[in-house]
Amino acid sequence: MIRLENVTKIYGSETVAVRDASFDIPKGQFVFLVGPSGSGKSTLLRLINRQEQPERGDVWVAGRNINDLPASRVPILRRSMGNVFQDYKLLLNKTVFENVAFSLEVIGKPRHVIERQVPAVLELVGLADKQGRFPEQLSGGEQQRVSIARAFVNRPLILLADEPTGNLDPTTSEGIMGLLDKINETGTTVVMATHDHRVVNAMRRRVIQMDHGVIVRDQERGVYE
Amino acid sequence: MFSRIGYALRETWASFRRNLTLTAAAILTSAVSLLLVGTTFLIQRAFENLLVQWRGDVEMIVFVRSDASAEQIGLIDSVLRSAPTIIDVNKLAYLNKTESYEEAKRIFVGDPVTLSLLSPESIPTQFKVVPLSDDPQLVRSLSDQYRTLPGVEAVALAEDEFEVISTLSNFIRVVTLVMSLVLLAVAVGLIWNTIRTAMFARRREIEVMKLVGATNWFIRVPFMLEGLLQGLLGGVVSCGGLWALNSAWTNGVAGFKPGTGISSLIVPSSYLTSVMLILLGIGAVVGAVGSAIAATRFLDV
Repeated sequence: MIRLENVTKIYGSETVAVRDASFDIPKGQFVFLVGPSGSGKSTLLRLINRQEQPERGDVWVAGRNINDLPASRVPILRRSMGNVFQDYKLLLNKTVFENVAFSLEVIGKPRHVIERQVPAVLELVGLADKQGRFPEQLSGGEQQRVSIARAFVNRPLILLADEPTGNLDPTTSEGIMGLLDKINETGTTVVMATHDHRVVNAMRRRVIQMDHGVIVRDQERGVYE
Repeated sequence: MFSRIGYALRETWASFRRNLTLTAAAILTSAVSLLLVGTTFLIQRAFENLLVQWRGDVEMIVFVRSDASAEQIGLIDSVLRSAPTIIDVNKLAYLNKTESYEEAKRIFVGDPVTLSLLSPESIPTQFKVVPLSDDPQLVRSLSDQYRTLPGVEAVALAEDEFEVISTLSNFIRVVTLVMSLVLLAVAVGLIWNTIRTAMFARRREIEVMKLVGATNWFIRVPFMLEGLLQGLLGGVVSCGGLWALNSAWTNGVAGFKPGTGISSLIVPSSYLTSVMLILLGIGAVVGAVGSAIAATRFLDV
């Protein structure tokens, strides 16, 4: 589903964010990208959704080399992915329902599809009773559930999560991980960057460890270390 | 499809209201600059009325009495042609009664009283003379000579009647044109800036839109519509201003004494209408293009 071949990303003239990274993530896998801050985890995610393009190497998503993708096709690529962030990136002037509906609206989905899919996904993340609330009226964990609902409402092939539990306490984090696990079970490939030892060790999934932009470990059913 | 159009219009309107102060500034600036553009058009057209009889380097007009015989007209013609070193005989033109009356209708457009005294039968015909020589004294001495010919009613020299007006009209045209161009540039800048502000206010939304796969055009269109609306509203305001200005001027001119020339400075309403349409067009294009450039620039950041 996602394949990197000798990818190097350099910011500016000399800051090497990722050096010669290669891996292959099959469809439906759950993968942790771990490592300290600045080790290149976020850059890897940004390479996969083409917010960045590598200086060297190729990035393949769903059988396509996305480096060759013309800019006009990038929106199509992004529609096959959901993104979840540490700071949720919710729109504060929109309700829970509107936030999730927004991501369908802007890709031109008709009203009746929106009215069917949004309540269903809010049910899935456990916020069916809070559709009319605004983000600031929700707890951090609930806000992250909204952002996961928004990422998943279009049933993407891939879910990219960048430190989704970074702002949450351990109990809430557990709930979020349960939700991501549930989404993974529907066949969605999940790639999650994190430096949260607890969730990695609890889940025992594939772990790709980064250090100074280099992949130093790639292990099935790994722990954080 | 309909949901997309609905979305674009909703977003345009919301953004329009959000930046009301900047929007008003952009609209007013484009209105003032477009008003100046329009005024330039009108002034130019009005002076053309006054100068229509001197078009094409004509420096002297020999007016022929309306009751002159064909022999008298032939004599005047041959006398004019007898000075080929001073007069450009190739450009020598004779306007018969119908042509002279058509011209008079433009000259006396704001002076119906004088026009009503004229008729295609009673109007003097005229020879338009283009001199080869640059020496005004030479042309003047010729004119004194022509005045004594039988059948000649009067000889008019451009030097006496039109130099001041011509200089004045050129000056006004240049000044208004330069000012309107400067203001138009300011208007583009202001529209550009409102769009940038609008996009900055919504950068979070734009980021989310890009991440969920909205196309650049989808993101851009509401901003372009906003710019287009600003330009168009500026155009509408300027049209109102131009109409008011023209009405006031036309009414004021009617009070002038006939024959002073001021009464020629009037434009027909059909011309005013086409100028207004041009202003609306310029406004819309400037607004849409300015905002499209702004939107494209800030979309890629």
